[in-house]
This record gives sequence, structure tokens and C-alpha cells, in this order.
Amino acid sequence: MIQLTEETRSGWRVVSVSGRADSEAADALEAALRSAVEANARVAADFATLDYISSAGLRAVLEAARAAQIRGSEFAVCGLSAPVRKVFDMSGLHHVLRIHGELPC
Amino acid sequence: MLLDGKLTEIPRLTAETARFCRQHSLGEEVEFHLNLVLEELFANAIRHGGCEGMRDAASVQLEMLANGVAIEFADRGVPFDPTTAPAPELDAPLETRLVGGLGIHLVRQVVRDLRYERVDGWNRLTMRRPSREGARKGES
Repeated sequence: MIQLTEETRSGWRVVSVSGRADSEAADALEAALRSAVEANARVAADFATLDYISSAGLRAVLEAARAAQIRGSEFAVCGLSAPVRKVFDMSGLHHVLRIHGELPC
Repeated sequence: MLLDGKLTEIPRLTAETARFCRQHSLGEEVEFHLNLVLEELFANAIRHGGCEGMRDAASVQLEMLANGVAIEFADRGVPFDPTTAPAPELDAPLETRLVGGLGIHLVRQVVRDLRYERVDGWNRLTMRRPSREGARKGES
């Protein structure tokens, strides 16, 4: 199960992602992040209440980052818990994504 | 436990993993890693192994060892040996970054002693999620 909510904070469109970003939830996550990136110049994915992520969730984040790059939007990931951060690190995605400990907004 | 070849089986797999972790007083990090390993292998069998829609497509067994958790995952998909799969290019830039192979890469990061055999139409994988890593963070 994944829960997605959106709000604007200090000029950033923040997509808050709670629950599990797994193979079942990846399509919903990708759709939410892509539509935010297509409609806003600065988008942050707030993972502070994300309990779990697998490669399917990482792929959704990567696709959103690609869409942002094509459109010229800023895209950041923030609020990662230690175990979620570790999956990003293991995947090497921390090299290609802007990752913040705190919200950029 | 046996799983049908559909992603909607993941919650059942997650619940069974949670039950196992509670039973053996395993911490959150171990549970996270067991979920990760099992989901990656199961999703791979469905997406790439031809297990989509297959009844009793995969089998999962967890067993507590003195030095970690023994994991056995088997599926009835096409023969696939993840121990010889090429590693993804982890340093590639965003534009060219290929995410294929990422799931298996994560599995290899988390487990030790990954072994593969093909038996009677099943891909059978055995591996161990060592307890040492969890113990360092105060978990069993």
C-alpha cells in the first residue's frame, strides 16, 4: 500500500509518499511524480514516511527524474530513512539524483 | 509458502515475512532486507521469467540459522541463473542509466552464499541474509 499526497511548500511542489514503494505501487508512484514534474518547475519527493522501497520504486523515481531533466524542472528526493537511503546507495542512484536530508522548501 | 504468478500476491508474501520476523524477534532492517530479496526475485520471475498468471508459480521458505536467515526461493519460470547475470552500470549518468538488472543487484548486495540450480523445471535459489549486519545496528 502506498499513500500519495501533494502540497506546495515555499515554491516547491512536494509529493509526500507514505507506506511501501514496491512492485505493486510503482505505477501509481511514477504517475504521481511524473505529473507533478510536468506541471511544476520545482518538485520534491518527500520520503519521510516511506517504510520500504524496492527496485520497482527506484525505477519510478528514476523515470520521474528523467522526465524532470527533459522538461528542465528541478527534482529532488528528501527525508529518506536510513534503510530506504541504503537501497538508494546500493543501487548507485545517489550518484544521479539530488538527495537531501531535509526538505528543500 | 506457494505464490501464484501475480504481483497482487506481494501483500501475502510481506505478511508471511512479518510473521517470521516476529516469531524470531528479528529487527526492522532484517525484515526490510527479507522483503526486498523476496519481492525482487518474485517480481523478476513474473516480469521476465514467464510466471505471469501461472498458478503456484513460486515457492518461498525462510529458516532461522545461527548466523542469519536461510532463504529458499524457487520458481517455475524459464531457466535463469542470477549468480551469472551481469551487474548493472552503477555509475552511468541519468540519461543513459539502465535499470535492468537492478533488482538482482540489490539481492546480491543483501545476501551471501547465493546458489542456483535448475531442478525438475524449477529455478531454485538458496541464500543467506547474514545476521552480522543487523547485529551491528543492535538487531539480532
